[in-house]
Amino acid sequence: MPPRLTRREWLAASAGDGAALLTSCGGERPVVPSLVSIVRAPVYDQRIYETVRRMLAEHRLEVRGRNVVLKPNLVEFEPESSINSHPLLVHAAFEAFRAMGAASVRIAEGPGHRRNTLDLAEAAGYFKTVPRFEDIFVDLNLDDVTRVRPPRQFSSLGELYLPNTALSADLLVSIPKMKTHHWAGATLAMKNLFGVVPGGIYGWPKNVLHWAGIDESIADLHAAFPRHFALVDGIIGMEGNGPIQGTPKRAGVLVAGRDPAAVDATCCRIMRIEPLKITYLRLTSGGESHITERNIRQIGESLAAVATPFELIPEFRWARMENS
Amino acid sequence: MAIEILVSKQNPDGGWPYVRGASWTEPTVYSVLALLAAGETKPARRGLRWILATERPDGGWPPQAGVGQSSWVTALVALLPPERLGASVHARAIAWLLETTGKESTLAYRLREWLLGNPRPPEQEFPGWPWIPDTAAWVGPTSLAVLALDKEYRRNPLPAIGVRIDSGRQFLLARMCHEGGWNHGSVRALGYESRPYPETTGMALAALRGVRSPETERALMVARRFLAECRSADALNWLRLGLLAHGQLPEGYCHPVRIEDRTLPDTSLGLLVAEAEKGRDCFSA
Repeated sequence: MPPRLTRREWLAASAGDGAALLTSCGGERPVVPSLVSIVRAPVYDQRIYETVRRMLAEHRLEVRGRNVVLKPNLVEFEPESSINSHPLLVHAAFEAFRAMGAASVRIAEGPGHRRNTLDLAEAAGYFKTVPRFEDIFVDLNLDDVTRVRPPRQFSSLGELYLPNTALSADLLVSIPKMKTHHWAGATLAMKNLFGVVPGGIYGWPKNVLHWAGIDESIADLHAAFPRHFALVDGIIGMEGNGPIQGTPKRAGVLVAGRDPAAVDATCCRIMRIEPLKITYLRLTSGGESHITERNIRQIGESLAAVATPFELIPEFRWARMENS
Repeated sequence: MAIEILVSKQNPDGGWPYVRGASWTEPTVYSVLALLAAGETKPARRGLRWILATERPDGGWPPQAGVGQSSWVTALVALLPPERLGASVHARAIAWLLETTGKESTLAYRLREWLLGNPRPPEQEFPGWPWIPDTAAWVGPTSLAVLALDKEYRRNPLPAIGVRIDSGRQFLLARMCHEGGWNHGSVRALGYESRPYPETTGMALAALRGVRSPETERALMVARRFLAECRSADALNWLRLGLLAHGQLPEGYCHPVRIEDRTLPDTSLGLLVAEAEKGRDCFSA
């Protein structure tokens, strides 16, 4: 079995062989710059397969012989809306990882609101788009579980039961929608990990996470899954009262990287949200360093070229970059 | 055919998985109820032994063997006949339900909110049931707890049981969506209306058996609309049970043939609904 990487090794690898540690003049700890790519993708069509293949190649992911689990964001039965991760993107990632030599690629999700997960996936178009979907899909709400204690604790959760499919993955690939969120500000790759918490144990919705603190629970889950890659569906996202009742917002981009915090921070900048005003990003980053713009090695499109302000509900308008 | 599927999917330990893998309490209880209704007593007895072995010291049941917390599935266990489960075991399940409320109804939480000067939302006036202790009450677990207690009340009409049934039903009525039907629990979130779901609407209507009000009429209209549109076996099972509880399932209704069972609870609940349509409703008698 290939050796498992720690988060430190994983992120160091992501920076490339020649990357030097950056040190700031403000006494911050040295950080390894995280590689984040932004690629234009104006519509959901067949070109997305080649786009995703190229994006993953840029990140030099070594998945040959490893088990990859793709974690989309499935929320509601509204296929015409922009609530759920688009099945074409998830299938493009599935095909790309198979072509890269992964031993197995599965799609797994545990929706937080609706219990009938496969019906939800069918309504979202997954059965039509992904051949033999039912054979490669795992409902994380009903998966076998193991009790774990996240290595870093920000919430009062303590131990948490988590699904074995996600825990045993050599690479967990978070494929969320780029959306605003009425309680967290933005829901991206890190918040998408709420879907690995099993509803079969904690219920629908996963209210235990709300009582333990949404931001703190996101940070706990981030710590629990160190082998994590993020691929954000920003082709059509959601603004306003996300993650469910917002309105579609076209950003026309895909954003990817090995460090979900850096990817989420970049997505926030695209949405014109100040990342350090998003509590879970601030918690995870220790309030500085690797989510600051200068410590992200960004490739592809520039932020200036793709930034498009997402409408925020009044409770979060203070988090706009313009107000910083 | 559905019964053969249930028998073939029983795990060696006597329980049932949702689809495959380890045994869980929810699919095991529904399978046992369906097998008992079909007269398949041998696999049902093995299932009952699994259920008895997984009872927790507090009289409740965990969602899965080995999980260190009792949960909402205790209401499902309480739906099993006491003569099959054992009278004392059944009584402990009922006691666990009577002692359990959503966190927002606990004295400690209410005192804290009072000290902070936070007004009490009207929908928190009536205690419901949570998925797991120390979290808020929701429509799904409250509906199941009311069903279990209502069934017990018909055998054993204790005032304490009647009080929780009444408050549970008030909880459901207070949480009904503006347009009728039920979401998970919140009527509004940050000023936005919640939309009803078919499955929770069916569950709540089943728990409101015998309650006639303008609210339930509105919910029944929503349930009939969902019944015509919905394409989920789980949701259709609960909608049928909910409409049956109010004598409102359209006469001659046929389950759409192209709807697939996704999980074993879909299959076993489908069998139980078919029994209920013949007048043998294990959720009420």
